[in-house]
Amino acid sequence: MLRFIGRRLWEGALTLAALVTLTFFVMRLAPGGPFSRDRKISPEILDHIKAAFHLDEPMWAQFGRYVWGLLHLDFGPSLRFRDYSVGELIAAGLPYSLTIGFWAIVIAALVGIGLGLAGALRRNSGVDYLAGTVGVVGIAVPIFVIGPLAQVVFALKLGWVPVGGSDQGWRSLVLPVVVLSLPNIAYISRLTRGSMIEVLRENYVRTARAKGIGARRTLMVHALKGALLPVVAYLGPATAGVITGSILIETIFAVPGIGRHFVDAALNRDYPLVMGITLLYGGLLIVFNILTDLVRGGLDPRLRGHG
Amino acid sequence: MKGLRTGLGLLALVLGLGVGSARPVLADDTLDRGIGSEWSSLDPQVNFDAAAGWIQMDVYEGLISFDGTGKVIPGAAEKWDVSSDGLTYTFHLRDGLKWSNGDALVAQDFVNSVLRTINKDTASDKGYYFSSVMQVKGAKALIDGTATDPATLGVTAPDARTVVIQLLAPQPEMLQLMGAFQIAPLHGPSFKQYGAGVFIDPAHVVSNGAYIIKEVVPQSHVLLARNPNYWDAAHVKIPFVKYHVTEDVATELKRFQAGEIDVTYDIPLNQIAALKASDPAEVQIGPSTEVIYYSFNLTHEALKNIDLRRALSLAIDRDTLESKIVKGEGIPDYSFAGGFDANYHGPQIAEATMSQADREALAKQLYAKAGYGPDKPLKLNIIATVAEDAKRRAEGVALMWKKVLGVETDVQPMERKAWLDAFYAGGWDVFSDDLVGDYPGPETFLAYMRPSTEPGYNWVKPEYNAAMDAAAKIADLPTRYEALAKAEKILLDDYIFAPLEIVPNRHLVKTTVHGWSNSAAGYNNSQFLSLD
Repeated sequence: MLRFIGRRLWEGALTLAALVTLTFFVMRLAPGGPFSRDRKISPEILDHIKAAFHLDEPMWAQFGRYVWGLLHLDFGPSLRFRDYSVGELIAAGLPYSLTIGFWAIVIAALVGIGLGLAGALRRNSGVDYLAGTVGVVGIAVPIFVIGPLAQVVFALKLGWVPVGGSDQGWRSLVLPVVVLSLPNIAYISRLTRGSMIEVLRENYVRTARAKGIGARRTLMVHALKGALLPVVAYLGPATAGVITGSILIETIFAVPGIGRHFVDAALNRDYPLVMGITLLYGGLLIVFNILTDLVRGGLDPRLRGHG
Repeated sequence: MKGLRTGLGLLALVLGLGVGSARPVLADDTLDRGIGSEWSSLDPQVNFDAAAGWIQMDVYEGLISFDGTGKVIPGAAEKWDVSSDGLTYTFHLRDGLKWSNGDALVAQDFVNSVLRTINKDTASDKGYYFSSVMQVKGAKALIDGTATDPATLGVTAPDARTVVIQLLAPQPEMLQLMGAFQIAPLHGPSFKQYGAGVFIDPAHVVSNGAYIIKEVVPQSHVLLARNPNYWDAAHVKIPFVKYHVTEDVATELKRFQAGEIDVTYDIPLNQIAALKASDPAEVQIGPSTEVIYYSFNLTHEALKNIDLRRALSLAIDRDTLESKIVKGEGIPDYSFAGGFDANYHGPQIAEATMSQADREALAKQLYAKAGYGPDKPLKLNIIATVAEDAKRRAEGVALMWKKVLGVETDVQPMERKAWLDAFYAGGWDVFSDDLVGDYPGPETFLAYMRPSTEPGYNWVKPEYNAAMDAAAKIADLPTRYEALAKAEKILLDDYIFAPLEIVPNRHLVKTTVHGWSNSAAGYNNSQFLSLD
């Protein structure tokens, strides 16, 4: 077990190193720089600014400086938000993204698995059609349609929750969490339903029934374990994606998370901020993939020991 | 078990997060203002953004200030004198000025501010104003490092209540520049102790404006509260001001309609007409200091022909473009530097007074004269940004060129940074350009157009430079304006670009907010506003 985790972490570190190197150089291929302006400022001033951020050094020196900083957990200064370092921006934004992402994934898992199971067990019933409809709508209708619609209905017409922002405590969280969970509910319920139907036909389920184990116990202990494998495989990377902030959700609901920084930083050529968020996302993805594998190993004996 | 424990740890982390502040957003002692994207800096010697400038004008007070109509009014200085040659400005500070922590505010605090702005370690864009635009004595040498003694700077404090600014050339728009790009004083002790981080640190920041910073949450908001030590605190009516970041204009509109925001940063283009019909009292639209013009690439063989450039400019129906296609309430424009200051009587392009039908007839003639027609159509590209209004405008112009002249135009929208670089890289025939003037006077625009060998411009015109040089020597503003008008005539006569429109400032303002005005300068300091 420990050896497995150790090996996966080592592989993860290698992946991150490749990610840092690639991102660092590819990003600089994009036209325009962090200090491209639409007015001509005098060359001396521009030189001062570049020197202050070491952008006047050769590329390899900049890369070395960046990696050296990383080894000391220093992500460097933000070039666009001059008052903050990248570390400070991430520390300020991550709690918002994390909170919304966490609740969205919890709701998505509970509702999605529930709907999927109900659909699988009562195929072609009302519940199944309802789950199917939710699935299709959740997947097909994009967040940038559902989000503004939810704002109009629940914030403007009914006045239950605010339109956006982050200054009304839990009330500010309701819309972003619900809207973010919708597509995930859809995916999870479809996955659960399909996989449950398949598992119910498996020999080991039939064996369990034949051994005289009750229907309920067969279902909840034996079948469910197997049926959840693909769901768990989906949840790992989905959680990493969702808690690092949905760009659309954060823009539509004016949430001060880090998802928005990702796009803005790329558009503003804020190199250190792009690097910082890419690294964070990559790191989380690796960690969640390891967790996913551990959970799957717990659920399915066949996967144990092969890692 | 391990997985479970990790999960519980994560749960505790998430549940333990306090999100949101205790103050309710709808309290009517708070003015909620939208500022669009996040401010780039709250450091008054670094900030260069207009929207962050609004926060700065509330928190700090320069020697002079702007009222809502854009008029220069006394700020920390109660009066000032200008020498007869226009080279020396002497500002007299009010008696008993204090910083927000009670310290005495002295003239040297303003001098230190300028010194910090031009210091290379500050790495501030703003330094360029002192050396190139205002042309403050000694600034350039201190910036490029040929001088190091701060005493050589032409900004001095002969006594605690006097600030003297010496210029190399007369600059009659000096006060406008000082209003648009505030010289905030620098509180030495707090800056020395906490460094540049102090400007976003509510616990330690010390300011001298009508408000002080209470709370700063990146990407979310800045909360301000009245400064009891402000000299005019008795007349500051609104206790709290909150600046909200809302990048998406559609969300901002909904937040306005839900009462979460009292003044918006912008209005979505596709909602302007409906809002003007349903809530006309809330829609506040007026000209800004931004002009949009389409530059022609003078290195391209075809576009070296002035007849062709003129034909392209004439074929654009600016009224239709603005009112039917872009729909952003822009003001159709036939000059470059006019339309901002009513006292400047500058030229317009020669055909400004013709009807659009006559313009198009003339455009066709010129197009044929240049050797183009249905058998040999002109092929062009337009480089624009991906912003909604910029794309609509480019598509509209392409359509008009096609309809009137038969020009085949390829519109190429680019994201902003790529667009900025594309200008210098060349490769464009027509560049969708815009210029934001520093103040609503003609010179800020005309100075920008001085012929330059920099890639992108390629306009060689010694006459224009000579006319601008002549104007720069004149201290008297009306006379200077006459000289500038002569220079603008030279510029417009060459048709190196087609002026299209003056961009408006667009805001929704709740009728419960009183004292709001529209001005090109765009400042509505919260201290002059009140709430029902």
